[in-house]
Amino acid sequence: MNWIIRFLKISRSQWPWMAAGIALGVVVIAANVVLMAVSGWFIASMAVSGASGVAFNYFYPSACIRFLAIARTVGRYGERLVTHEATFRILSELRVWLFKRFIPLAPACLERYAGGDVAGRLRADVDALETLYLKILAPLAVGAMSIMAALVFLLWISPSSALVMLLFLLLAGVGLPLLVRRFSEQPGRKSAQLSAELRTKVTEGLQGIEELILLGAVERQATLVDTLSVELIGEQEHLGRINGFSLGGMALCAGSGVAAVLVTVTMQITSHQLAPPTLVMLLLFCAATFEAAAQLPSALSFLPAARESAARIFELADAPVPVPDNNVGSDIPTKTEICFKNVSACYLPGEPVLQNISLTIPAGGSVVLSGHSGIGKSLLVEILLRFRDYEGSVTVGGIEIRDLPKETLMTMIAAVPQHPHLFNSTIRDNILMGTESVNEVLLQQALGDSGLDMWVAELPLGLETAVGINGSAVSGGEARRIALARALYKNAPILLLDEPTEGLDGVTERTVVSRLNKRLRADGGTTMLVVSHRPACRALGDSVIYLENISID
Amino acid sequence: MTKQPEANTDSSVQHDSGAERWLFSEAKKHRVLLLTIIGLASGVGLFALLQAHFLAAACQRVVIQGEGVAAITPLAVILFLLAAGRSLFTYVMEKKSAAAAARVKQAVRSKLYRKIQNLGPAGLAGYETGALIETVTKGVDELEPYFTRFLPQLALAAILPLMFLIIIVPTEWRSSLVLVLSAPFIPLFMILIGRGSESVHRRLWSRLSRMAGHLLDLVQGLPDLIIFGAARKEAAVLAQVSDEYRSATMSVLRVAFLSAFALEFFATVGTAVVAVIIGFRLLWGVLTLQEGLFVLLMAPEFYLPLRNLGLSYHARMQGITAAERIAPLLAKPISAGFTGTLPAPKGPPGVIFEGVYFSYGGTRGGVSGVNLTLQPGSITALVGGSGAGKTTLARLLVGLTRPEAGRILINGQDLTTFAPDSWHARLAWVPQAPFFTSGTVRENLLLGRPNADEQQINAALEAAAADQFIAHLPHGLDTVLGDRGAGLSGGELKRLALARAYICHATLVVLDEPTAGLDPENERLVCESLERLAQGRTVLVISHREQTLSHVEAVAEMIDGRIERVTSPANYLTSREATS
Repeated sequence: MNWIIRFLKISRSQWPWMAAGIALGVVVIAANVVLMAVSGWFIASMAVSGASGVAFNYFYPSACIRFLAIARTVGRYGERLVTHEATFRILSELRVWLFKRFIPLAPACLERYAGGDVAGRLRADVDALETLYLKILAPLAVGAMSIMAALVFLLWISPSSALVMLLFLLLAGVGLPLLVRRFSEQPGRKSAQLSAELRTKVTEGLQGIEELILLGAVERQATLVDTLSVELIGEQEHLGRINGFSLGGMALCAGSGVAAVLVTVTMQITSHQLAPPTLVMLLLFCAATFEAAAQLPSALSFLPAARESAARIFELADAPVPVPDNNVGSDIPTKTEICFKNVSACYLPGEPVLQNISLTIPAGGSVVLSGHSGIGKSLLVEILLRFRDYEGSVTVGGIEIRDLPKETLMTMIAAVPQHPHLFNSTIRDNILMGTESVNEVLLQQALGDSGLDMWVAELPLGLETAVGINGSAVSGGEARRIALARALYKNAPILLLDEPTEGLDGVTERTVVSRLNKRLRADGGTTMLVVSHRPACRALGDSVIYLENISID
Repeated sequence: MTKQPEANTDSSVQHDSGAERWLFSEAKKHRVLLLTIIGLASGVGLFALLQAHFLAAACQRVVIQGEGVAAITPLAVILFLLAAGRSLFTYVMEKKSAAAAARVKQAVRSKLYRKIQNLGPAGLAGYETGALIETVTKGVDELEPYFTRFLPQLALAAILPLMFLIIIVPTEWRSSLVLVLSAPFIPLFMILIGRGSESVHRRLWSRLSRMAGHLLDLVQGLPDLIIFGAARKEAAVLAQVSDEYRSATMSVLRVAFLSAFALEFFATVGTAVVAVIIGFRLLWGVLTLQEGLFVLLMAPEFYLPLRNLGLSYHARMQGITAAERIAPLLAKPISAGFTGTLPAPKGPPGVIFEGVYFSYGGTRGGVSGVNLTLQPGSITALVGGSGAGKTTLARLLVGLTRPEAGRILINGQDLTTFAPDSWHARLAWVPQAPFFTSGTVRENLLLGRPNADEQQINAALEAAAADQFIAHLPHGLDTVLGDRGAGLSGGELKRLALARAYICHATLVVLDEPTAGLDPENERLVCESLERLAQGRTVLVISHREQTLSHVEAVAEMIDGRIERVTSPANYLTSREATS
């Protein structure tokens, strides 16, 4: 339940829309139930009047029937519009909330989402939370409130049939869904798991198709896919049967409920507690009430999956901030000398990577760090970017970086991180990164110095070429150079480059290195830290430092 | 009724008729099961009819004839039994639906996956792998509602209202007239509004998925947004984009929901009018309560199949959207491929490229007129700038693509004359990013030769310098690798891929950038292993790394899809120094 309350708190400002949607839903169901009841009472009374000759004022009931019919249809239209409006408003609220929560957690936030298809799972989880109101909360609230109202009404007219209905509605609205949930728990979990496994095997089979062909392993993979598919479909079929059980159970409850009400009300009529036409009214009333209960099982069946999704999302959003920010402004450094003093740091607690590192890069100087992979070169860059915390002292222009607000520090630094991300947009957008006023001269320089100019000139759309999702439409080397151009365009006094020439062929690599050198010699003021194990990159530094392995196992 | 594309002789063929025709042909394969489902659903309708009949009879007895509990108890029992019967039929119908869906999905998925495999990378040019995966997994699942919801509803909408009408007409033709007159409006409105909302629906869903993609894109790129001080700004953009999406979608939905509105309107107002007509007929005494109530109870049942058909419209759209992606793939002809039958040569082969041409339909990365000789048992490096055609040439050699012109001769025989399986068994190919399944190290090692024994495994691991790091893994060879080899470093994965190449009985080894992205220590290990691998085999290695080049016998330099020169490594390296 806590997670629902949490969800409601986040979407607090949309409560009026949510409540309006639920209210309209109740109106629609009430209109339908009353319509059936009035129609039943109307024709029974007309029949009695026709048989006995006693006059019956038919004007009001027939007007009422027409009014209710229109109220129901118009109400349904309104309900759909309002619940959807609420859903989209929640969606917007939720996304912004989630994104803002992620900002201080980056880049660690997605690392915690261990294994497999991170993007797909996060997407499915966010989806589940976004439709929580539309698919689960609203139907449950509407169903429960309508049933409650119907029971109160029955209690007023015929307490004994209210009791009978309570019994059958509990069976249909609570007992049956609980039973269904219990049955479907295991196949539901299993089918989710199998479907993930199937996706993995299909992904491997299609991504690795060439090697599988050459290894002669194609048929084996196809058999694996078939086996998993059969298992998965078996579970899905099982779930389908449970759905049948739920629908059948509902039909049984409704049919026998109406039969029981028939007997109860007849007893009251024989004992003259109720007028005979009331029978038809109550029967139709009860039959329509079961329709309101019928939406409960399906809404409840979405609940466990939604809860799991919400748990994952909230856990992610609640992760402790790995690197606390200092929002109290301090002096902004005026110099750009970078100084590491006795710095220790790690990716995971208890697994130290850097121990007692001291290193100084003078203002306007440049250092190339080299050494084995996994020795912690990238970690030094991430410390400067405040992505990882550290022990010891790291200063920029004499000011300890943990005392600086992150945003202030970032105005001084431009970087190509270890895994730069290309956004699903154009090359231009990816270089400008949302800068409002575009400096064309700076842009052309950045393109030239990152060795992109020739390539961009050959593209039919030039800078407006889309890079695809995760940069899928450009090669790895091109993506690297776009990230480099992005960092150069920012034109910050400190430049951090983590393997800037990864994925480039020798000729391009040498071009990029020499152009970068020329650029830096020309301006002279940029302080630079380059992490690379490529020999060509050594030319970028005033000095080259090899990191040696500290811990030996 | 929704137009059945089979009978659609209209010259303006609908955009999705091909997909729907395919869905119908798939349905025909399970005709018996589908007919059973329709039969069971009609049975459920019949139970509803009987329930209405006995309920009306009970009311007649109590309200008009003044009878007591004793008289209606048998009727109550009958009603209970009818409810049980209806419940049972509903259950069996859903069960059969699930079974039908399972059969369709299994058959389609199996066929589709094998088809995609057989088409191979060449036949799938223009398709994104991600989209194909989506089609095989989720796409096939989305066929289900079309077969279990839409098709039976389509049949029921044709059968049940007619059946109910035939029974009502003799008792109350006036009410029947109301039903008959209001009923056609429902499908009419559905078609009218459905036509428009079909494209709207498509647009909506594609926009929704773009939106979801947008959030993910931002989250994945958060570190970069922070570095460039754009994170807070993007949060505002996100809110704005979501709001724009909402208002655009809502203006569409206001129209789209009209179809449901029209449906409900005619059904509800129709029922209300029937109630009023029956009321007056009862007042005038020309109808008994039993007859009147029966007709009133049947009125909603009359509209129900039509309304359900309207609601299953989404199921139809889902099925068609999925079929639009599946059917064309299944219908794609498989290119002839290699049809040779000769067994591949046993020893290390000599290779001659003779004027080989291949372009991807573009200008970049193709090869144009390559002439190159690889001596049997030699080790040759292929160098050149990116886009010079190195990888293309390697792919031509292993037989993943066929030359558009020219020949590749293996020991003097055209490559196309060899049986593909036999040729593949003689090959080891290590691409830039080797493929690993998310199984154990052992499974990955034995992909090409499942029956290798421990001795062969150990020999291969040793030769590839992979024995040490594997021994240090928590479960050795049985350590489970994550997605795409997660858990091992880039250098370790490369060495594992080399070990896999050793284990195969390969006589021709092709390596694409085996040392790219490796630190010097790993590069040294891989290069040494390369030298061991080259013994008794013909090797072609794509690389521009100095260390790798010092292990080869000849260097072939490619420029713009041509072999510029073939020289010794020493010569190549000196000339490269000179130019830079």
